[in-house]
Amino acid sequence: MTVIRTESLTKMFGDLCAVDSLDLSIGKEIFGLLGPNGSGKTTTVLMLTTLLGQTTGTASICGHDTRLAPEKVRDCISYVPQDMAVDTNLTGRENMLVFARLYGIPDPKDKVDELLGVMELSDRADDQVKTYSGGMRRRLELAEALVHEPEVIFLDEPTIGLDVAARRSIWSHIRTMTKKGMTIFMTTHYMDEADQYCNRVGIISHGKIAAMGTPKELKSRLMKDVITVTVDGVYAPVNLEGTAFVGQADGCISFTAENGREALPQLADALKQAGNTVKAMSLREPSLDDVFLQSVGKQDEPQGFEEWKFRMMLHGRH
Amino acid sequence: MKGVTTYMYRDFIRWIRYRVGVISSLVLPAAWLLFVGLALPVTFTGNYLDFITPGILVMTILTAGISSGSLLMFDKILGFLNKFLAMPVPREDILVSKILFISLRGLIQATIIIILAVLIGATLMTPVQYGLVYVILFLFGVFISAFSTTVALYLDDHDSFAAFTAMMTMPLFFTSSALMPYSAMPGWLAAIARVNPLSFAIDAIRDVGAGSIPAVPILLLLVFTAVVVVLAGYAFRKVTV
Repeated sequence: MTVIRTESLTKMFGDLCAVDSLDLSIGKEIFGLLGPNGSGKTTTVLMLTTLLGQTTGTASICGHDTRLAPEKVRDCISYVPQDMAVDTNLTGRENMLVFARLYGIPDPKDKVDELLGVMELSDRADDQVKTYSGGMRRRLELAEALVHEPEVIFLDEPTIGLDVAARRSIWSHIRTMTKKGMTIFMTTHYMDEADQYCNRVGIISHGKIAAMGTPKELKSRLMKDVITVTVDGVYAPVNLEGTAFVGQADGCISFTAENGREALPQLADALKQAGNTVKAMSLREPSLDDVFLQSVGKQDEPQGFEEWKFRMMLHGRH
Repeated sequence: MKGVTTYMYRDFIRWIRYRVGVISSLVLPAAWLLFVGLALPVTFTGNYLDFITPGILVMTILTAGISSGSLLMFDKILGFLNKFLAMPVPREDILVSKILFISLRGLIQATIIIILAVLIGATLMTPVQYGLVYVILFLFGVFISAFSTTVALYLDDHDSFAAFTAMMTMPLFFTSSALMPYSAMPGWLAAIARVNPLSFAIDAIRDVGAGSIPAVPILLLLVFTAVVVVLAGYAFRKVTV
């Protein structure tokens, strides 16, 4: 069953094409949209949550068109932006009650008690949120998002800025939600999390889907092993049979190989012959990071980034 | 309606928990009344307090109304607005709740000023007169807060909104009939003051104080306010981020 469907969904900002003919078909699953900054992730989420109109194409949630029936779409979704928008001088319970009343829940108090319990916040429910940790605030937001039992939840970077334990707890809650039949559409930067928890991921680059599938499929599309090499100075390209160049990031060059153990010494020789000074080499299994690197390529900063502003900001910190 | 009351509940709790905000919003108008009303050496009228109180009342409502946009701006910057806009609650409920919360809070401030003014020597009016003053202040509050909330909806950041606020408040106040009668103003100022919406509300309140019922200004204020609220409501319904 398709819960989220888009057909040639496109969003232009002037001449800039933020989202380019996106076709998605998402069922009851955890779907992760991955991509570098400025690749169109947030724009996609904003269009799917009826906050932004598309330039062309269509999108529908639970069979309702986001443009023709936005109220119906809003009825069956929840949206948790990455800002952590909780009222800090209200208590957890008061924050929840606001949402329960806005959604017109018949017994708001009971529902709030229940969800505070589910999110393990019951014992702190009557403390002001400013005393909560980041993980607790996120759980409170998830509890708010669950108050009207939506069919789809949109999470924008749900674990950003949280420590390892808090992330794990957020993920276990997200998994529980999908067991109850909810669809989770999330964006993230954390490849390891997407690898571990998403049923399917889509990698978006310059507004287009560059790769889509289960993390396992995507990884198996790369060859068996990954060899990463650190060289001194500029990398001089080599071409060795049985290996393939994946990409270069942070001075690390990645190759894939059919048989890593055999390819490693050969690759070392080939690199030396090509004039590289090899500092380190390592062999590992492919991760979603490698898939991402291969799909997205060398990353440029998005067009909106103004370097002088960034420098001014750095200077201001001294 | 549920949406309106819930959003108001949220803003109200946030306001009363923020003690500095409560104190400042209650003390500031009083301070204005005391300093301006008692300190200025004035010759053009017998009881300057009776003259200045309508001006201070309307200015207080103006400042309150402008802060309605500020509330919305913070909701927007902090990510609340996106959450609210993605909910099935009618979007114009956000606008109506801000208008009502801010206008009612403005009327509380107005009450403090009225009581204080009487205590320090302003003429006591009849209940009907006070009722009319509240009607005028409420309509003016709705007018200003609907306008400022809609401006905040379209501006990108708080700095722009602060600039808008500064541009609005002080010039509007000093070019209105708040501080002196038209007869005491230089000609160019009087010309500006007569078309200033602030003067409109202030003059109406002075008419009430003088014993007449300013039916035409109240009706006009009602019409203007209704137009602004309808336009603002439409803007909220259609807004995208």
